Amino acid sequence: MPATNRPTPRWVFVMEPKRCIDCEACMIACTVENGVPLGHHRNWIGHQEKGVFPHVSVLFTPENCHHCTNPPCERVCPTGATYRREDGLVLIDYDRCIGCRYCMQACPYDARYFDEESGVVDKCTFCVHRLDAGLPPACVETCVGGSRHFGDLNDPESEVSKLLARHRAYTIYPEAGSGPAIYYITE
Amino acid sequence: MTQQMEWGLLVVIYLYTAGISAGLFAISGLATYLGGGRYRRLARLGALLAPWPIMLGLAMLVFDLGRPLYFWLLFTTLQYTSPMSIGSWLLTLFVVIALAYLVVWLPQPLRNLVRLPAAWSDLTALRRWQPLDERLVRRGRGILAAVGFPIALGVGMYTGVLLGAIPARPFWNTPMVAQLFLFSALSTGVAFLLLVAALIGRWVDREALRHERHLLISVDAVLIVLEIFLIIPFFLHQSLNTWSAAASLQLVLGGPYTAPFWGGVIVVGLLAPLAIEGYELFPLILKEGALKYSRLLGIISSLLVLVGGFFLRYVFVYAGQASHLLPVIAR
Repeated sequence: MPATNRPTPRWVFVMEPKRCIDCEACMIACTVENGVPLGHHRNWIGHQEKGVFPHVSVLFTPENCHHCTNPPCERVCPTGATYRREDGLVLIDYDRCIGCRYCMQACPYDARYFDEESGVVDKCTFCVHRLDAGLPPACVETCVGGSRHFGDLNDPESEVSKLLARHRAYTIYPEAGSGPAIYYITE
Repeated sequence: MTQQMEWGLLVVIYLYTAGISAGLFAISGLATYLGGGRYRRLARLGALLAPWPIMLGLAMLVFDLGRPLYFWLLFTTLQYTSPMSIGSWLLTLFVVIALAYLVVWLPQPLRNLVRLPAAWSDLTALRRWQPLDERLVRRGRGILAAVGFPIALGVGMYTGVLLGAIPARPFWNTPMVAQLFLFSALSTGVAFLLLVAALIGRWVDREALRHERHLLISVDAVLIVLEIFLIIPFFLHQSLNTWSAAASLQLVLGGPYTAPFWGGVIVVGLLAPLAIEGYELFPLILKEGALKYSRLLGIISSLLVLVGGFFLRYVFVYAGQASHLLPVIAR
């Protein structure tokens, strides 16, 4: 399909917790790719315990910024430094950020961190520099178990669209009204 | 991903001092209108004190930024969905009005040092600038008090809206935080005025002092009662709200902020000063005599209110940041 006929992309993550082995390669890949300062991470792996002893299990849930459709961080930013690009990426204009950290209070996912050295807040960008060059985010490319899937939800032929058509999925904290763009497959 | 306290004591001090200034201005404005000349000294004292706490707080706030030198970026835009953006403009407007209000309440000799050009043509000729005209000053007091009063209330409310407007922090996310902070702002402003008036009281005659104290103590007692009747529904609503909201109450009901909340906010900040003020007002309530006047009690009760107001900001800023939405356990 020619690019001009396609609607604006809606970039999403589809995670398969059952494929995640908590190896944290995605965290390393992100740190290397984006030069994330020591002590901070743009992505992480949640641990979801379920069951009652002795029948217990842990699911690993890879996570990063949810690039919400209604981002609470963008809403509260007093200088307009956090903005939402046309394709839904929630990005930060580092020249306008004054480091007030109000966005960090507003984020239901604690996805943001304060970079003490530069004095601004930072977070996952869905590897916007790679995306604009036609490459998937670094964490997706490196994922060992194939738990992280990334793609355009507005394209019915994309891997993420097909996964979401076949499986039941949930989002985290939908009650925050932020409209997160990371889906977790439950079965 | 970071799970630490991003906002610390500097933000606590900022919210606290902004509240005191708002309260000082509001009570000074009220004193300007109520009782004719009876509360003149209170109106003046309030006006002279009002701009300073908030200016100290704003300095703290700028210092707390990641890039303090770029604070001016706040004033290149108005982000109407951001309480902090609206607040920045509101607080700036308030400080300007409070400073102008201070000038018109300065004692005559000091006021004469402030000079303004009488005509546009004098704008560059500093020597021809005139001291403020007496009629203008008297009118200015009334107008600035009237214009500044709602803005002062807005500042007091803003300190709570800043926290309350965030769905991600269940401990904050109720409109009652804004109301509570507003009433606490007014109460701490009144207490600050009461404290200063009591400390310099020996230069005024006892009769005037009694009138002043009657006004301040009654207003403060009413505000404390209003605060108590906001904290009660705060607990009721939060505990009957979502799981996250109910769980966030644990922070003050057997968590790290239990002692500062029940000891600092409830006992020191509300119940103890209310008891003292009730004792002072008791003869009036029974219509059996005059206000029980004691300089020491005034100083103690206002200090208690001021300490309690600080604890209120402290507990809310810290506990709110520690509160979090809770995950739905996967089946």
